[in-house]
Amino acid sequence: MYPRAFHYHRASSLREATEMLSQLGEEAKLLAGGQSLIPLMKLRFANPAHLVDLNFIQGISYIKQENGAIHIGPLTRHAEIQDSAAAAKITILHDCAAGIADVQVRNRGTIGGSLAEADPSGDWATVLMTLTTDVHCFDGKRKRSIPLRDFVKDAYTTALSHDELVSEISIQLPPKGSGGAYIAFKRAAPVYPTASAAVQLTVEGDTCKEASIALGCVGLTPVRPSEAESALRGQRLSEKTIAAAAEAARTACDPQSDMRGSAEYKREVVGALVKRAVEAAVRRARGEQVEVSHLYA
Amino acid sequence: MNGEPQPGGWVGRELPRKEDNRLLRGRGKFVDDIRLRDMLYLRFVRSPYAHAKVVRVDVSAAEAVPGVVCTLTGPEVAQQTQPFIEIGPDPFARIKDYPFAVSKARYQGEPVAAVIATSPHIADDAAELVQVEYEGLDAVVDAEHALEDKVLLHEDAGTNRVWRGVFEYGDMEKAFREAAHIVSIDHLHFHRFSSTPLENNAVIAHWDAKDEHIYYWCNNSFPSFAIQFLAAHLGIPIDRIRVQTFDIGGSFGIKITSYPQMAACALASKKAGGRPVKWIETRSEHNISSAHGNERTFRDTRVALDRNGVITGIASRHIDDCGAYPRYEPLGCVIWAQVFPGVYRFKNARIDFSQAVTNKCPVGPNRGYSRMQHLWFLERVIDICAHELGIPGDEMRLRNYIRPEEFPYTTPNGCVYDSGNYPKMLRVAKDRIGWDDWKRKQAAARQDGRLIGIGIGTTLDSGTNNFGQSQIVNPHAPFSGNSQGANCKLDIYGEVVVAVGSCPQGQGHETTAAQVVADVLNIHPDMITVRTGFDTERNVHTGASGTYASQFAVSGLSAVHGAAQKLKTEMKRLGAFLLETSEKNLEFGAGQQGPEIRRKDNGQAVNYWRLANVVNVNSAVLPAELYDVTLNCRYVWRAPFKVPDKEKKYGNLTLTYASQLHIAVVEIDRGIFVPRILDYVAVDDCGKVINPPIVEGQVYGATAHGIGAALMESCVYDSVGNMLTATFSDYTPITSMNMPAVKYAHIETPSPHSYSGAKGMGEGGAAPVHTISAALQDALFASGIIIQDSFNNGDSLYRAMVSKEICQADRLVKLEKRF
Ligand SMILES: Cc1cc2nc3c(=O)[nH]c(=O)nc-3n(C[C@H](O)[C@H](O)[C@H](O)COP(=O)(O)OP(=O)(O)OC[C@H]3O[C@@H](n4cnc5c(N)ncnc54)[C@H](O)[C@@H]3O)c2cc1C
Repeated sequence: MYPRAFHYHRASSLREATEMLSQLGEEAKLLAGGQSLIPLMKLRFANPAHLVDLNFIQGISYIKQENGAIHIGPLTRHAEIQDSAAAAKITILHDCAAGIADVQVRNRGTIGGSLAEADPSGDWATVLMTLTTDVHCFDGKRKRSIPLRDFVKDAYTTALSHDELVSEISIQLPPKGSGGAYIAFKRAAPVYPTASAAVQLTVEGDTCKEASIALGCVGLTPVRPSEAESALRGQRLSEKTIAAAAEAARTACDPQSDMRGSAEYKREVVGALVKRAVEAAVRRARGEQVEVSHLYA
Repeated sequence: MNGEPQPGGWVGRELPRKEDNRLLRGRGKFVDDIRLRDMLYLRFVRSPYAHAKVVRVDVSAAEAVPGVVCTLTGPEVAQQTQPFIEIGPDPFARIKDYPFAVSKARYQGEPVAAVIATSPHIADDAAELVQVEYEGLDAVVDAEHALEDKVLLHEDAGTNRVWRGVFEYGDMEKAFREAAHIVSIDHLHFHRFSSTPLENNAVIAHWDAKDEHIYYWCNNSFPSFAIQFLAAHLGIPIDRIRVQTFDIGGSFGIKITSYPQMAACALASKKAGGRPVKWIETRSEHNISSAHGNERTFRDTRVALDRNGVITGIASRHIDDCGAYPRYEPLGCVIWAQVFPGVYRFKNARIDFSQAVTNKCPVGPNRGYSRMQHLWFLERVIDICAHELGIPGDEMRLRNYIRPEEFPYTTPNGCVYDSGNYPKMLRVAKDRIGWDDWKRKQAAARQDGRLIGIGIGTTLDSGTNNFGQSQIVNPHAPFSGNSQGANCKLDIYGEVVVAVGSCPQGQGHETTAAQVVADVLNIHPDMITVRTGFDTERNVHTGASGTYASQFAVSGLSAVHGAAQKLKTEMKRLGAFLLETSEKNLEFGAGQQGPEIRRKDNGQAVNYWRLANVVNVNSAVLPAELYDVTLNCRYVWRAPFKVPDKEKKYGNLTLTYASQLHIAVVEIDRGIFVPRILDYVAVDDCGKVINPPIVEGQVYGATAHGIGAALMESCVYDSVGNMLTATFSDYTPITSMNMPAVKYAHIETPSPHSYSGAKGMGEGGAAPVHTISAALQDALFASGIIIQDSFNNGDSLYRAMVSKEICQADRLVKLEKRF
C-alpha cells in the first residue's frame, strides 16, 4: 500500500531538525534510513503528518576513535559500520552491523534510527548494552548524554523528548584482554532475529574477570541476565561454567510465542546462543581471529 | 553465415536463452509497465474476519473523496453477474462464488468492496473510509473439523464436503490377509504453502463500450481457462474477451485462479464509463488472498508388506483442504491419481479421498499441484515402513521401485508411465553425493552425539494431463484430452514468426520453440522470432493453452513442431514451383541472402523473402494449384488420450512422467534444533533434454521451492482464521542465504509418447520436501521420532525431540508382524 499523505521537510542541520520538530509538534517524525519507519507507513500502522528528513545533513555520518572511545554519528549506516576499521576495534560491532538484514537494509538503515526506534528485536541496543555506551541527545538548546540502559525505557520507548534527537553514540573501548561476540538465530536474512545473545568478556589466563551479557528479542527491552554474568565473573572458564551461564540466561529471558517460535523454544535457543557467543568471546579475548556468523534456518 | 546446425541439430544444445537479453537488461515488459490513457486504479477493501456476515457496506465517505470515480460492492456485482462456474458436481456446485463477498465473508482477506480512483494513493486513502459492518461467525480452519459440518461455509451446498470418492484397485482383502507385516500410521499432514512468485498478480481491464469488448492486460498464467470462467460470469461472448499476457515474474500455478480479480476489474471499468482499470496486488494481499497450495491430512493408513518389505497394499483416508472456495477444485481430488502408486510397484490400494472447504484463502494449483502431497505421503510410507522393518531406505526403495524393464508401465488405475529408470537414478545420485563416505561420516558423527540423517526422495513430475480426469470428479464435466496450438508463418517480408499459446514465466519458451523450428528449417534460431505470451487475437490458442502442469516441451513444442512442418511442406511446394524442380531436389538452409531453399543439383536458391512475396503481394505469378498455400500455418497438437472410465476411476491421466531423485544429508543442530543441509544432490530425468541450462535452471528453482517449503515456508492460521504469515517477515520465503550448494545430474530415458523424446518438466514433484522429511527421520528415528509433517523447523523439531508433543513413533505407528 501507499502511505497516507504527509508533508516532507528537509533539515540542513541537527539544530534545524529539532526546531522543525518543535514547530510541527507531535505529528512530526524524523526520517533517517527509513527502514523501520517507511514499512510501518506503507502498512499504515504509522501515519505521521510531517517527515523531517535527516539525510541531507552534512557531517553526521562518521565513525572515529577519540579519548578511548568510538564515536558514531547518528546517520551512520549499518554498512558503514560493517566496513569501518575504527569500529572493527570492537569486534562485536562488526558482528552486529554485518548481520542486520540484507545489503539494501544495511545500506540505508542507521544506528541512530535503530536506537531511537527501540524495537525489542533490534540488534544495536542489545549489542551496545554489553559495552559502556552513551547516547548523546540534543534538543536544539541542550545536549545531554544518557547511558544506553537508561535511554531504552520500554519497547519502542526511549528517554528522548519529542523535539530531541540522537546526535551521537559513544562506546568506550573495552580494556585489553576483552573480547566479544554477537550471535543471533534468524529464520532468513531480511527478518529480525528469533533470539540473540551478545557477550563481552575480559579474560585473564583461564579466568573470566568481567562478563557482560545481553539477550535480544526475548523481552520488551534487551535482557541483562545478571545471574548468567555472575556465573562467569571471577570464575575459571570451563564447559561447566559456560553451561551454567547459558542455563541462567535461559531462565532470565522472557520470550513470547509468535511466528518466530514458541516461548519454550526461544528459551532453548537463548541457551545455545549464549554458549556459542561465550565460547567465541573467550577465544577472541585471547587474541584469536574468530569469524562469527548468525545462524540461519 | 553460421546457420548450419551441427550434427544433432539445435534441439539438445546449450543455447543461451533468447529472452535473457531483454530480461537481464531490465527491458522486460510486465503488466505494471503498461500505462493507458485515463487509467484508473482499483483497491480492494478486504474482510478482516475469517467468517462473518456482511451486514452493511457504506461506501459514501469513500465516494466523496476527490479523485474517486466509483466503488463496487458484493450485492451490486451479484445483481449483474452469474456466479462463477463450479467444476465439481452437486451439491457443491450450488454454491455461489463471486469476486466479492455478498452476504458473508469466508476467509480473512476476501474482498468485500473496491474503490476505483484516479491514482493508487487516492484509492488507498478512500478504501480506508469504506465502512463495513460485520457480524462475526465461528470459523472452521481445520479440514477434518470442517467435515463435521458444525459450521457451514456455504449454506447453499448444505455441507463443507466438496467431494468424496473412493479409489480402489486390486484385491485389498487378499493383500492384507496374506501380508507378513502390517504397518499402521495414524496421522500424517502435508502443510499449506505457496511457491511465491516475485511479481504479484496484476490486471488491467478495459470494458470498451464502443465495441462491447473487454480488453485485458494481465499476468494470468492459464488465460484460456480464465476466459471460460469470465465469459459465463460476465455474460459476454467469449470472442469479445481479449486477453494479453507479457513477461510474467513467476506464477507457479498461483496465478491461474486470478479470474475473480480480473472480473472485478472489468466490472469496475464498465462502471467507470469504460475507463481502463489497473489493479496491482500488494505483497500482503498476495500472501493472504491470492492462492495457496493444497493442504492434506492422511488418516488411518495401513500398509501390507511381504516378508521382504515389498509393499503389497495400501489403505488410507485422505482429506484435502481447499480453503473457502473451490475455484480450480475439486480437480485436485483426482490430479494426484496421475501418480497413484508413485514410483512403486504395489497393485492393491484403497484411498478414500475427501475435500473440504475451510475459512482460509482458496487454494490454487501450486507447483507440484496435488501430486506432491500424495508423493510425499508415499515417501513417508516407504521410509516409515523401512524403519519399522529395519530395512535401509535405499534398499527399501530398490525392492519396491517399478523396474526399468517394466516400462511402459501401467499403474493399478490405468495410467501409463512412459519411461524411467529409478534404480539408475539412485546409483547416479549416490555416486554424486558420495553415499558410502557419508554413511561412514554419519556413523562416526553419531558416536559424537551428532544428529545426521541421510534421506532419499524419489518423485514424479507428471506432465500433459488428460482433462478427461475431470469427469472422474464430475461425470458431466465437458473436458477431456489435451491440446495445444501454435502458428508458424513467413511474414510478408519472409520473416519466420512463431506464435504459441503459452505464457512463460521463466521457462525459456522463446528459446526452445526457436530451437525446434531451427531444426525443421535448418536455419539458426536467431533467424526465428517467437511470439510468446498469450494473445487471444493471435488465434493460436486452444481451450487448454497456458503455462501450467509441466507440459510445454511435449504439448507446446509438439504444436510448434507440427506448425513448422506444415509450413515447410507449403514452402517446399512453392520452392519446387519457383525453382522449377521436384521437391526431392530441394534442401533448406541459409545462404547469402538469409534463409533459403536450394536446388541440390545446381545450388540455385530462392530466399524466404521471395517465397513470402509471391504468396502475399505478388500472387499473379502463382498457378491456381498453389492458391491453398498461405505460409501461415496453424497446427493443433492433440494428446492421444481416451476418456477415463468414470466409475472405475481408470484410465491414462497423463502423457509423460519425468522423475526426480534427490538425496539430502541433514544435520539437526543440537542447540537450536535447526536442520542444516550438509550436502544435496538432485538427479533429474525429463527424457530428451531440449536445452540443458534451461532444464538445470528449472531443477534449481524447483529445488529451492522445495527446500523453502520443507524448512521455512508455511501459511499459518490461528484457531479463528487469522493469517499469521501475511508479510515476508513472517512467511520467510527462501533466499540464497538459505540455499545449500546443490549438486545436479541427469539421466535421459526418452519418452516414447512425444515426438522428440522429451517429457514435460519444471514442477519437479517437490522432491526436496520428501527428501528432507526422509533425512530428518533418518537422523531421529533411533530416538523414536517419526516425521509426520511436511514442514519442519527448529521449533517443531524441538517440540518433537524435547517436549515430545508431536511425531512420537510409539503413538503414531504400529507394526504388526503376522508371520
Ligand atoms: C526487511 C528489514 C529487515 C530488518 N532486519 C533487521 C534486523 O535483523 N536487525 C535490526 O536491528 N534491524 C533490522 N531492520 C531495521 C533496520 O535496522 C532499521 O534501519 C533500523 O531499525 C532503523 O533505522 P533507520 O535509520 O532506518 O530509521 P528510520 O526508519 O528512519 O527511523 C526509525 C525511528 O527512529 C526515529 N529516528 C531516526 N533517527 C533518529 C535520530 N537521530 N534521533 C531520534 N530519532 C530518530 C524516526 O523518527 C523513527 O521513529 C530491518 C529492516 C527491514 C526493512
